[in-house]
Amino acid sequence: MGNLRRLVLDVLKPLEPSIVELVQLLADQEGVDGVNISIYEIDRRVENAKVTIEGHDLRYDEIARVIEENGGAIHSIDEVAAGRVLIEDVITPQD
Amino acid sequence: MGESSNARGRFARHVNNVREYDRITGFSKIARRALANNAFDGVLTMIGVLMGNYLGNVRSAGTVIRIGIATAISIGVSGLWGAYLAETAERERELAELERISLTDLGNTKIGRASRVAVIVVSLVDGLSPLVSSLIVLTPFFFAPLIGNILVSYALSLIVGLLALFGLGMFLGYISGRSLIGYGMRTIVAGIVAIAINALLPIEP
Repeated sequence: MGNLRRLVLDVLKPLEPSIVELVQLLADQEGVDGVNISIYEIDRRVENAKVTIEGHDLRYDEIARVIEENGGAIHSIDEVAAGRVLIEDVITPQD
Repeated sequence: MGESSNARGRFARHVNNVREYDRITGFSKIARRALANNAFDGVLTMIGVLMGNYLGNVRSAGTVIRIGIATAISIGVSGLWGAYLAETAERERELAELERISLTDLGNTKIGRASRVAVIVVSLVDGLSPLVSSLIVLTPFFFAPLIGNILVSYALSLIVGLLALFGLGMFLGYISGRSLIGYGMRTIVAGIVAIAINALLPIEP
């Protein structure tokens, strides 16, 4: 099975633990080279976060476990990339 | 060597976990408030017990200790039980609200564990602080055979009580970042008021 290189997740999480902690916990996972979390909506108790993870061999199950352990719920997987080369989304005339 | 560094590593992990649970639930702030509040209750209750015994002509150290310990245990149990029930209800409500919003079961997550740890810490502080503070006030009676005169034990206990109140006031002053002596004086006045009211009540034993 091809190695997972990029994951973009839409996550709903409580305000605590903060994204500062979560981003470091995710970055510590095996196969992860870098993580970015950006908040696009914030509520009184929860926030919606876009979690972008890149690496050479991402373990989706482990990543999901870390997010859930910290109270997050993965609402959707918005983008994935796998293989030897990282392929970006291609803009076509239809877009 | 390897075992001791393993134990150190485990301990450091536990400390980190507790710090993280505190960041999630903010229990240290609640526990600090409970500590000051309940220790204050414990000292003043014991001052009341001492005044009652003194004015009721109790002149046996054993009797004062018996009554004092019974009172200390009761306020300790009351603090522990009350805080456990109130804190559990409050935490469960918060967790349920968060679960409703996120449509997730958070019981087995870090948030659920943090919530349970917060209940235990706050309950223990709520129970132990009045128990310990009231027993501290009673200490001179444990040395009654050495002190000799029971009236000296009463006087020493009341002084210890007032000093404990002053110490608690200083603790509050330290937390607020204001004058330690000013806060200490405010709490000591509460003890003096309790002693004065008891002494002035026209009730014959």
